[in-house]
Amino acid sequence: MIEVRDLVKVFDTRGQVVRAVDNVSTQVAKGEVLVVIGPSGSGKSTFLRCLNGLEAFDSGSVSIDGLQLADPKTDVNAYRREVGMVFQHFNLFPHMTVLENLCLAQKVVRKRGKKEREAKALALLDKVGIAQKANEFPSRLSGGQQQRVAIARALAMEPKVMLFDEPTSALDPEMVGEVLDVMKTLAVEGMTMVCVTHEMGFAREVADRVLFFDHGKLLEDASPAEFFDAPKDPRAQAFLRQVL
Amino acid sequence: MKHKKSQWPWHVLTVLLLIGLAGALYYATSLMSYEWRWNRVPQYFAYHAEESQRAADISTVSELARQGDKAEVTLRNEAGDEQHLSVDANSLQVAQGDDVAEGDVIGVTRHWAAGPLLWGLWTTLWLSVVSGVLGLLIGLATGLCRLSNNPTLRDLSTIYVELVRGTPLLVQIFIFYFFIGTVMNLSREFAGIAALSLFTGAYVAEIIRSGVQSIARGQNEAARSLGLSAGQSMRHVVLPQALKRVLPPLAGQFISLVKDTSLVSVIAITELLKSGREVITTSFSPFEILFCVAGLYLLINLPLSKIASRLERRLAQSD
Repeated sequence: MIEVRDLVKVFDTRGQVVRAVDNVSTQVAKGEVLVVIGPSGSGKSTFLRCLNGLEAFDSGSVSIDGLQLADPKTDVNAYRREVGMVFQHFNLFPHMTVLENLCLAQKVVRKRGKKEREAKALALLDKVGIAQKANEFPSRLSGGQQQRVAIARALAMEPKVMLFDEPTSALDPEMVGEVLDVMKTLAVEGMTMVCVTHEMGFAREVADRVLFFDHGKLLEDASPAEFFDAPKDPRAQAFLRQVL
Repeated sequence: MKHKKSQWPWHVLTVLLLIGLAGALYYATSLMSYEWRWNRVPQYFAYHAEESQRAADISTVSELARQGDKAEVTLRNEAGDEQHLSVDANSLQVAQGDDVAEGDVIGVTRHWAAGPLLWGLWTTLWLSVVSGVLGLLIGLATGLCRLSNNPTLRDLSTIYVELVRGTPLLVQIFIFYFFIGTVMNLSREFAGIAALSLFTGAYVAEIIRSGVQSIARGQNEAARSLGLSAGQSMRHVVLPQALKRVLPPLAGQFISLVKDTSLVSVIAITELLKSGREVITTSFSPFEILFCVAGLYLLINLPLSKIASRLERRLAQSD
């Protein structure tokens, strides 16, 4: 479903050249859950952002369902509506109510009628367990609730793939669980997911494959059982000793 | 334990200080034997205008009927044509059967008319509103151009903003009137409005640009990741938040604009300041008139800042 080949992203700021994503190739099958882990600054978030074109990459190719992101003929907006993204800092639109947050893209991009989009939004809010907050502004919600709204907002576009960029890193510990529960439900329902996260428990329980990044390089690509119990790469071994 | 001190003695002191200041000013003017004549001022706001009603032809007063304050006069000329006039009864100059010549005054009608100060206020108001709206549109477009990815748009908008911000408004008004106005044959009002709105536009552009840049990048990224185009993201997500944030500086800019309209008096547009100065030449009461003019500017600007702060509070409901 997702195919990444020889992906390279170089940051060049004031003469300092950083190869944030260094020659990464991988693919994700439909319904597969990929968890990307690695130390901070290892390029895992940049890798994720390259998947939906928020970060323009320097060479290589990314495609979803055969649609090439780098192809100039590809409408990047059409591409992105098939790829949902959830951010570390939620990025809900603060000037709109929860319901309006969920309806905006449905209205502007999918051109759905008012009734249809609101029914869809309410159904999704119900699914993530905050239907009663539909008419609140995001600032009135806790971090965990905001992140669940953000997930519902991405789902409202009925994406083929969901990308999660450290969705629980900005949350108070007690709210991590409610967000992970929503993500687990999605995984069980067969959503194709790529998650950058530091939640090792989630990775072990839900992931089909774990990718380990360091200094922009994909160092290990294994099933969670293999990765957590017998990592092959020495840097992955060192990393796991620190976090487990 | 923190003692809560009462505030009112300080407010009283403020009032006393202000009264003292006013008294000192009054004393100073009395030393230079200035005679305050506030009673002369109201007539420059509104006055009872008289309009003479004249006979159109050599004729005779054939009928004369008084109805309250009014007198209905009917004139008949030799050909038998009738002319009907209605004048104020106490100004009637003719009696039944009188012969009148062409152009003779039969009487006057009186009505209230706006004086020069009111006309000046009106001119200042519409100049401000028109240049404010134009300035906002120019500023919005220029501000977005400043953020554009297109180098030409960016360069042009930067040059415009720097040119306008780096030269005095007074000079710009002269250039618009004497140079551009002459070349393109513009009216003085057009030149004045063009100068004011371009001046305001440059400042509004910088306000809009800073407002848009102050919105966290994640907002735009979230919108784009949902499939919104750059324009849709700007229109639905970034601009509404940015406009809310720039409301206070925008209000300040419009208050400045209202005051800056006084500068177009130099190209002989009779706005508030110029009508004030004209009134001074006939009333010989410069101090009273200048105070009135200042008061009228305040009359526009105080509600403006009030409205702005109310809008700000209403838009803050989502925070």
